Order: sequence, then C-alpha cells, then structure tokens
Amino acid sequence: MQVKKALITLAGVDHRKLSVQTLVNREGKRNTVLEILIGEARQAGIEEIGVVIHPGDLQAYSDIVQADPHIHFIQQDKPLGYGYAILCGAPFIGNDYFLHLVGDHLYVNKSSVPCAKHLVDIAMQNNCSVSAVTPTRENLIPHYGTIGGKRIASTSDLYLIDKVIEKPTPTLAEQKLIVPGLRAGNYLCFFGLHILSPVVLKILAQNLNKANGGKIGLSDALNELASKEQYLALEINDWRFDTGTRYGLLKAQLALALSGDDRDQVMSELLEFFVMKNMNSIGK
Amino acid sequence: MSPLINIISTNIPEIKNKSLDEYCKNASLSDLLSEAEKLEQYRKEEPNLYNRVRTLFFLYAIHRFYIPFRFNIGTEGIIPYVAYEHMLNRRFEEAIDLFLKIQEKKGANEGISSGLADAYHKLAFQTLADQVKISVRSTAGNKWMFRVGHPSDQPLKVLPELLNKDPETGLYPLLHESTPVRMDLSHSGWSDIFFLGMDYPEGAKVMNISIDLCIRNKAIESIPKPPIETWFRIIEEPVLKLTSIDLATTNSISHLSEIFDFAKDYLGLLKAAIIASGIVPPGMEGAGLPLSHLLENMVGKGKGIEIVSKVNNIPKGSRLAVSTNLLASLISLCMRATGQTEKLTGSLNEEERRLVAAKAILGEWLGGSGGGWQDSGGVWPGIKLIKGVEASAEDPEFGISKGRLLPNHTILRNDLVSIESRQKLQDSLVIVHGGMAQDVGPILEMVTEKYLLRSKKEWEARQNAIDYFDEVVHKLKDGDIKGIGAFTNKNFDGPIQEIIPWATNLYTETLISLIKEEFKENFWGFWMMGGMSGGGMGFIFDPSVKSIAQDRLQVLMSETKRKFEHSIPFAMEPVVYDFRINENGTFANLNTGKLSLMPESYYSLLLPGLLKKDIQLLGDCQRNELGLIGQTYKSNQHYTQFISNLFDQMIPISEEDNKQQKPLNKLLSELGFNSEQHESIRRDLKSGRIGLSKNRLPISSSIQDVSKSEISDEAALNDQILTEIGLEALKNKELAIVSLAGGTGSRWTKGAGIVKSLYPYAKMGGKHRNFIETHIAKTKKTDSDCKTDLQHIFTTSYLTHPAIASFLGPKGYDGKVYISPGKVIGLRLIPTERDLRFLWEDMPQQLLNEQSQKVKESLHSALIGWAKTTGEGDNYTDNLPSQCVHPVGHWYEIPNLFLNGTLKNLIHDNPNLKHLLVHNIDTLGANAVPKILGYHIQQQKTMTVEVITRKLDDRGGGLAKINGQIRLIEGLALPDEKVEFNLSYYNTNTFWINIDKLLSVFGLSRQDLDNEQKVISCVYKMASRMPTYVIIKDVKKRWGKGQEDVFPVTQFEKLWGDMTAIPELSCTYINVNRRRGQQLKEVSQLDGWSRDGSKDYIEDICLWE
Repeated sequence: MQVKKALITLAGVDHRKLSVQTLVNREGKRNTVLEILIGEARQAGIEEIGVVIHPGDLQAYSDIVQADPHIHFIQQDKPLGYGYAILCGAPFIGNDYFLHLVGDHLYVNKSSVPCAKHLVDIAMQNNCSVSAVTPTRENLIPHYGTIGGKRIASTSDLYLIDKVIEKPTPTLAEQKLIVPGLRAGNYLCFFGLHILSPVVLKILAQNLNKANGGKIGLSDALNELASKEQYLALEINDWRFDTGTRYGLLKAQLALALSGDDRDQVMSELLEFFVMKNMNSIGK
Repeated sequence: MSPLINIISTNIPEIKNKSLDEYCKNASLSDLLSEAEKLEQYRKEEPNLYNRVRTLFFLYAIHRFYIPFRFNIGTEGIIPYVAYEHMLNRRFEEAIDLFLKIQEKKGANEGISSGLADAYHKLAFQTLADQVKISVRSTAGNKWMFRVGHPSDQPLKVLPELLNKDPETGLYPLLHESTPVRMDLSHSGWSDIFFLGMDYPEGAKVMNISIDLCIRNKAIESIPKPPIETWFRIIEEPVLKLTSIDLATTNSISHLSEIFDFAKDYLGLLKAAIIASGIVPPGMEGAGLPLSHLLENMVGKGKGIEIVSKVNNIPKGSRLAVSTNLLASLISLCMRATGQTEKLTGSLNEEERRLVAAKAILGEWLGGSGGGWQDSGGVWPGIKLIKGVEASAEDPEFGISKGRLLPNHTILRNDLVSIESRQKLQDSLVIVHGGMAQDVGPILEMVTEKYLLRSKKEWEARQNAIDYFDEVVHKLKDGDIKGIGAFTNKNFDGPIQEIIPWATNLYTETLISLIKEEFKENFWGFWMMGGMSGGGMGFIFDPSVKSIAQDRLQVLMSETKRKFEHSIPFAMEPVVYDFRINENGTFANLNTGKLSLMPESYYSLLLPGLLKKDIQLLGDCQRNELGLIGQTYKSNQHYTQFISNLFDQMIPISEEDNKQQKPLNKLLSELGFNSEQHESIRRDLKSGRIGLSKNRLPISSSIQDVSKSEISDEAALNDQILTEIGLEALKNKELAIVSLAGGTGSRWTKGAGIVKSLYPYAKMGGKHRNFIETHIAKTKKTDSDCKTDLQHIFTTSYLTHPAIASFLGPKGYDGKVYISPGKVIGLRLIPTERDLRFLWEDMPQQLLNEQSQKVKESLHSALIGWAKTTGEGDNYTDNLPSQCVHPVGHWYEIPNLFLNGTLKNLIHDNPNLKHLLVHNIDTLGANAVPKILGYHIQQQKTMTVEVITRKLDDRGGGLAKINGQIRLIEGLALPDEKVEFNLSYYNTNTFWINIDKLLSVFGLSRQDLDNEQKVISCVYKMASRMPTYVIIKDVKKRWGKGQEDVFPVTQFEKLWGDMTAIPELSCTYINVNRRRGQQLKEVSQLDGWSRDGSKDYIEDICLWE
C-alpha cells in the first residue's frame, strides 16, 4: 500500500477566506494556511495534491501555488455537504488510498515527526484506513466527529474503530462511544487528518443517491467504512487548531511562533506588551 | 454454617427462597440471639448488596416479630437518647452498635429490640435506595450530566430549527409532545418496584398498555386523546419560563439555584425534567450563578426557554402513572430540542425510549419521589411486556444485584395481539378513579420487606401472581376478555390481598358487591390498578352493557363515596373515563407560523397577568402572539371557549365543595365559639407570650424516672382476689366505658379531616371494622363473659358528631350506647415563623435521604414564607370550614359528660354506676378486664392510670416524678427532648375513674349534675387550672383535580393526663402489657400490628355479631 495522494477541502464558506490568510511559520517564513497544509502533506511523502475549491476561487489559489503541476484544483459544483466535497475528488483519487486534510485546521507537531507523516506511516504499516484522533472533553464533542472503539492490544495509541458519529451529544456519546482506557468524560474526536481507503468514495456515492438532493456528511460514510473493513484511529497528542473558531487563527500563529525559531523574540515582545499594559493601568 | 446465612448466601433456589419463619418458629431465644450475632457479622463483610439487604431484613424481623413476642424477655429497657439521635440523623450503624452494646450488657429486652428492629429496617431501605441512586447516576447517558459543573461547560445547544422566528407571524416554532399514560393489565404483584426487579428479575414482569384518556360525560374533550401534553419554545427573555397549566402555576426562573428548589412551587416536576434532560445538568447544583450565562450558550444572548405542561383533566392518584409519564414527556421534549434524539419530531426509537425512562427515574430521584420501573410505559407504543433482566457484565448493577435497574420492553404488535383483540379489550373495560386519597408508600415498603424476607404465604402468593400473569397474556392474545376479567379478579381476591391485605378497603369491596349484584353474569371481573384500590380501578363487563355500566359506576361510586366520606379520606369526586389504546407512544410535532400557539388554557391562565401590563412594555413576540390569538379564537374551534374561560380566570367563582358546607362564621356562631377568649389567645401567640417553646416546664424542674417499685404491675397482681372484686362490680353494672372519639386522626390520614373512629381499618371477624365497632364488640364480649350489660359512651366533637351519630343510629346501637357531644371548639391559626422554626429546627427531626431531605427543606422554607405572607397568628380560614376549626383536646371530653347531661343520663339509666373506663379511640386493647377494675376499686383512688414500658416509637411524654410528685407529663411540656428517654413508662391514655371522687375534685356531686350553672362554673374553674398547649398540626387543603396541599396550622389543646398533676386528685399507676396499651396512630403500623399477633389479640377480646 502506498499513500501518494492528498485531498484538501477548501470549498466551505469559512474555508475560502481562511486558507488564504497569511501566517508566519516555524522557520519565520510567511505562508498562507493553504501553503502550510501543502507543506504538511509533502512532508508525509505525498506527491499529488487535490484541492477542492469553491467555483470561482481558482485564480486566488493559483496565485498562491504558482502553477505547481502536482497541485490539482477541483471545483465543487454544488453545496451538498462535506461528504460531497470529498466525493468531488473521486476522479483525482481513483482507486488509491489518500490523505485527507481539513482546510480550516492547522497542525503543529510536538515531536519531530509531522502529524501527517506519522499517520501515513501507521496506515502503511497496517494496510488500512486510519484517522487521527485526539482525546477531547465531553463538553467539546458536539463540535467534532467522534469515534467509538477499542484500544488494540500491545499498542498505546491505536484503536480499532467500530462507530463514528458526527457531533454527538454527550448523552449519545456515553451510550455508544465509550472507549475503554480513556479518562471519564473524554472521547476520541477527529483531528482533521485521515488516510482513507477508496471504498469511502463508493459509500459517499451511495449516500449521495440516498440523500435525494440533500447534503451528505463524511462521518456517516466513515461509520459505514468501519463496518466494511478494518479502520483504525491513531491517537495524536500534537496541537490542532481550528482556524474557523474565534481567535483560532491567532492561537495557531502563537503556537507556531512559540515552537519555532523566533520563540525568544516573540516571548520577549509579548512580555513587553503585558508589562506595558500593567504599568499603564498602575499609572492610572 | 449458620442456617440463616446459608439461606441468604446460597444460589440454590429451594434454599434461597426459604422463609425466615421456618427457622424462627422453632428456635430458642439463645438460638435467635446467636443467629442475630452471626448475621450482624456477616452483613458487615458481605460484598453482595442484596445479600446484605436481606440480612438486614432478617435482623429486623427477628427483633420485630420473634424476640419480643415469643419469649419472656424484659420490658423495661431504656433507650438512650444518643441512640435515638443517631436514628434521626440516619446514622443507623452507630445506633445499631449502641443498641447491641446495651443488649450485651443487660440482655434482650423489648425496648432495645424495638430500636434494633427500626434501625435495621431503615438501614435496609437506605442501602436499597443508595443502590438505585448509584444505578441511576451510572446509567450511560446520565453520567456526563453529573460532571458538568459550570455553564461554560454545557455541551448541549438548542437545535437551529427552533431558533428562527417565522417571518410572517414573528413567532418562534413550538415543539409539542403528546404522551399517553400507562395501565398494567396484569397487576404485577408490585414486582415493578425497583428493588424487587433487581432482587428477583425472573419474577418481575408486567403487561403494560399505553392509553389515551378522557373523562366521560364531559362535554369538552370527550374523545380520548393523549392526556399529557408538553411544549417547548424560545422566548426573548434570558429566563427559563415554566408553566403548569393544570396546576395553574407559572414562574420565570433567572437563577440556577431556583431550578434545584423543588418544593418552592408546583413546578417541581418541570424542574426535575430540565435537570434530568441535561438542560441544567445536575452537576450545576450549587454553582450559584445566574441562568443567563447558560442560556446564552444554549440559545443565544438575551434569549430564554419556555416549557409548558398540561395534564388533560386527569386527577392525581389515578394509578395510571400520570406524573412519571409527564416527567418522561418533558424529558423527551427537552432531549429533542437539544439534539439528544435522532429526530426532532415523530416517535422515539427504542434506545431513546430507554434513555427517556432512565432519565425519568433520575428525575424522580431528584424530586424525592419514586415510581415503579414500568411507570414510564406511556413512552412506548401500544401493548408491551416489560420484564426484569439479569445484570450482565456491561451493566453497572453486575455483581451487586441479580437484576438490572432498567427492564426490557417487548412491544406486542398486531401479529401477537390482533386489532380485534385490542378492540374487544376497549369494548369491555371501564376505567375509573374511585376518588379515594391514597398513600401507597407504606404498601410498597411492606411488599419489599415481605418479598425479601420470602415470607411463606406472601412468597407463594407471589408465585401464583406470576402464573396469573402468563394466563392474562395468553387470554389477551386469544382475545378472551372474559377470561382476563376472571384472572384479574382472582388475582385481586387471592395473591394481592394475601400479600397486602390493605390493598383492599371497604369502599372498593362495597362497590364490587354493588356491581356484582346489579350486573350479575355481565360483570366479568374487577382489576386493581397500581399500589392499592380505591383510586384508579378497572371493571370488566360484557361489551353489550359497557355503556350502561359506565353510567351506573358513576352513580354507584358517588353514592358510596357519600356513604363513607366521613370515615374514609376522599381526595375528589369519583370519575369514569373513556379510553383507547395509544399506538404511538410519546410523539412530537413542530408547529410553525400560525400554528405555533399554545393551547387555549395557557392563554386563559397567563393573559390576565399580561393584560395588566402596558402593551408597549411587551416584547415583539408577545405582541405578535396576542395579535394572533385575537384572530384565532374567532375561527379555531379549540379556542372558542377562550373569552369565557378568561373571565372565569379573572373573576373566579367559588368552588363546589365550599358550597356544601356552612360558611365558617355561621358555623362558629352556631357552635358557641368563644371569640373573646380566642382573640386573647391569638394576641398572646402573636406577641410570643405563648408558643411551642413556651409549652415546656421550667428548666429548673426536677424530672426523674419512676421506678418499678413505685407503681403496680398488672402481671404481678393477685389474680383471684382482684378478679373477683372486678367481676362483682361488673355484674353489678358499676362500670361504663368511655371511648374518646372527638378526634379527626390527623396523623392517621395526614390531615385529611375524617372521623378516625369510623375508619374501617382492618378486616376483623370476616368484615372490615372501624374503631367504634371494635370497641362495641369488646364491650359485648365483656357483657357475655362477665354476665353484665355495660353502658358504652362515645364522646364526640363538632367534627365527628354528625357522622358518629348517624353511624350509631337513632337508638344508639342496641340502645345502650351513648353519645356525649362536644361543646367546645377552637379556630385554627396560621402558625408563627418562630413556632415553625422551633418545630423544624430546634426539635429533633428525622433526617430523610439526601434528595428527599432537600425537598423537605425547600418545602419548609416555602411554608415559612406562606405563614409570613398570609399573616402569622391570623385566623386560618382559607380552607373548608370543617378544616379551619379544631377540637380542643381530650381534656374537655370528660367534663363534657357533666356539661351535656350524658353522665346524668347514664346514672339515671343505671344508678349503680360508679366507675368509668376512659380510653383513646385507637387503644384497641383497652377493655374492662375484671382484674384491673378490681385493682382500681381496691386502691380507692380517684383515678387509676395505665402505662406501658417504652419502645422506640413511644414518643410524647410518659410517667415521671416531677418535683417529687408522680404524674403524667406530656412530651410537649418536657423542658428537653432528652428527658423523655430517661422515662421508663409511656402513657396509654387509659384511665379508670371513680365518678364520685372525680366530681368531688371538680367541686361537684351527683346531685349537682342537675344544676347547669354550677356545673359550667366548676368545669371552667378546673379548665383554668389546666395548661393549654400550643400545637402544630397538619391540615390538608384539596384543590384542582385531586391535588392536596398540607399546611401546618396552630391549634390549642388541653389534655386529660395533666389532671394527674392536681394535688387533690389521687392517682395510682399500673403497668399493663403492651397489647393492651398499644395505640394505632398511623396506617403504616397496621401490617406490623397484624403480623406480630396484636390483631389476633384484639380478635380474641371481641365478640362480633
């Protein structure tokens, strides 16, 4: 099994604006969110990247990636949900396993191995779909896709998924998504990174038919995938930032800055800001 | 191995299901004490919950039914106050240790056994309740709610479908849930009690049917429909607005703490639903924050939630689990609104129904109440079998109890019970509410205890009931409704009454016999619904007569109620229902636009308040809504009564019940109420000169116990000589018996205000008997045994006289029973905050379990608020006139014999009369025993007082040496509660009185009885020497559809026992056996009284016609 393709979804209303925002990366270089995501994929050994975009956004993105022949823009023709956005990438993906990155998430690895690379390695070792997950407190789970399953014996961070529910209430999660070994009130929620088998595209196509013109999600398809073939979850303890939330972009920038080359400079400037602020208030 | 531990710990059913009695009936005292010691050790080490609980019940039963009655053990055990205090504070383990140490030191005795029995009993129920609490909290779907402690952590959000206003009407969508109630066609032998399903899941099974309902013959809403409706919508105010339409209560809550204040208003059930559904998770209790933060998270800034409930005219106590299904309906509604169900509308799926049921149990626990596990059956559709399930490894109960908290539901679809069979059932069954006020709590405790003890008779009856269940299921599948009637009837006559004799009553049996007589073979059977009969009941008829039977049942129930309403507490006028099977279960729809209006009764209730406001001050939504209702009531048939109901709400008309009674003022003036004296007492109460704390003797009083040698003991008396003296006096008709029957049994019926002496408390001599019949039967037995013809007097008060006079008939029951009507009446007062706080905060009080205690404290604070706003020390007039007046204590009942001419008549009819035997109406064992009469005559004192040795429950004073004088002292007068526990003897309130000597103490003679003025003057002179006690009593106020509120009221009493303090009245005291002196104060005592041999004792001293 090889994972050489990646699919980034950027067609959502919020994604469109966020992915062109500029951040300073760990090395102090200015990059757009999209460039950072592409970098994450490349570090994982990805060769071809499909980017699902809103019709009419092609020019803006083309300016960013400057005619890279390995980056393929795919226009999402209808707003039929997250599942449909992935399905739009089906011709590009063909019958291959692929890495999927969510366009409004940024990943900051704590260890030396980038998040996506870690995931690809695990998928190749186990020859199956793998989603990155992170333990999440129950009050936050209504924001994420959440999995239920069991830890695989003799591993510390791999789980066999048996259930996926999109944005569950804690009531539902407690009944169906308890994972033995996690702290009380914690569930494994998607991190925004997946290695998926092409089977998921077939499931999505079926779901689209059943939806009768309605929207389709990814989690329902992943839930079905878990019943059809081995599907694993990898617990990742790195940072994930949802740039779509309030101050999400700022938090992502701070994390990058404080774990990168300019750490000392940023720290001292922040400190200076706090001291000045306090001194001003004392002066008043 | 200990034989009893073997019974408890084995897994072999033949041994496990053996009864305690089998061992105890042949065991010696030392065997029992040794077994009790081993059981005590075992229960402390045994990890299995149910083994522990069963051991506790065994220990309870050994000390309650075997040790005190089967062996000649000591009677004089003193119960230390500290042990009593442990009991009150629910520190049962410490109380048990203390009792056991005393038992070890002094040997077994009655007092200590009574303490041990009570402590083991309460600890057993506490252990069971704790387990239910753990199970409920650890049910998946409930657990997270206990971890969410801050509004910022609230993960639930109200669904977007409910958050957007309709552009045309400007109104938010309205989520509406309708829910049926449930009936249990099999009567489960009470096996749906949580503890029992967990102990013996294989025996826990019921057939539960969801039904729509309406009250028959009411012009409005005459087609059965789901009787429970609930609504949810967004409002533009950051509050939780709760409204119960049927309880006519609304409240806007803005602070978290108010949600957890369950008894503050009538919205406790709605609050419990909000908590159990997770809108305000239970983990937030005590967070001390405003609600706005939480609401902002859930619905947006400046917005709130409104929840409304309505039970369509179904009265309380219907035995159809209305309150549990209402709770379930509200929970389902709130879960839907917050995305905790798959679909916003329609029916629920099986997993969701189970979750709603689990949350309803949680809600009931939070509200301090509890139902059975089948009660939320209305959530499920149609007909279903609900069965207990053994706990498996995934369940929180695994390893703790055999069964799971939640049972399994199997819906019987049309292929199993055909549409035709369903129709047949509907064509034959008549459901009614008999109107009786009921307290099923004690019955549920009795059943639990008997099942866990595996008492032989009850256990066999339970097995029969289980067999009947299978038969009923087969008959329903076959469509054989007549067969079902035969089985439900057989179940009621057999197992149900064998297990709990108190499940039936005279009212129910009278009804059944009238129906049998009238409908003969067309009446197919009676069916008891729920915990006991008298309220919700079913009668099964040949379909050809069903309609007539419904009409006749209404008439017969009303007539029978009128016959018994003075002796049996009724909460409401009986009703007959129409019903149909509901095939949906709980069901929701979303009303938008012009359909998003609340029901008409909501507007009738709330509009008067809104109309008083300036229209400009109303929010947009409210103005839009008023506009729409203004248009709708003209065209929509559901709103046509709106204007007329609105007027009724704004200008209420007096209740029907009030019309039946004389106005209070008229009543008081007719009864010669002394308003001057009343005003003086009232002033004293308001100023604090008198009050509960002022009843007490000065703290400097010397109060000592009376030793055994200072009084006589019945058992040690010379039988022959005294019996001969007594017999001679009896033959010579020197004795008359006075039964004090002026009271209304406020403890017996918890303030319902019926005539206790006429309450048919138990079946004796094959029939239900009341207290008066029992006392007359004892006199008959004395007449027969002693060849005499005693006069028997029943003293009455205003409250009891008409009913007793009517019961005894114009000739006074064989012409030898006299009635002595009461002459003094008091008017109840609203208590002072000072007295309520003294009662609830300074006097020792029984602590309840965690949640119930919270509810009780919330209720107390609400009642103190009520007293303050209504007017402390003001006359209590906001109730039926008969509930506002009170008899003024039994002291007056003896002088009344002089005042009203009864004593004169007695002497006229029987000049030999010299002595009176006076006793309380509930002292069933007091009879004219020749030996004690002989003793009384021999002692030549004015009065002989009967006392008994004290047991744990004997509270309220006793015999003491006060400043050197032996006398009776009321509990109210003791300067400190602890003192009572140093007194060995308890007052039975049975007195033998020498008439001439008593008259002399009053300054009277037989001849003076003709001189009315002198009698009045002497009686009032003596009355002025008697202390007046301020007493707080509970009084029920009935309202709405069978609703009852209990209010504390202040009244004043003088008590006869204080005569023993009069120096010129010579007294002697005699310790009699407990069965003679035992009083029946509460209905919950009946079962123990029946089982410990006391009932047989009473049967033996009675002669029934």
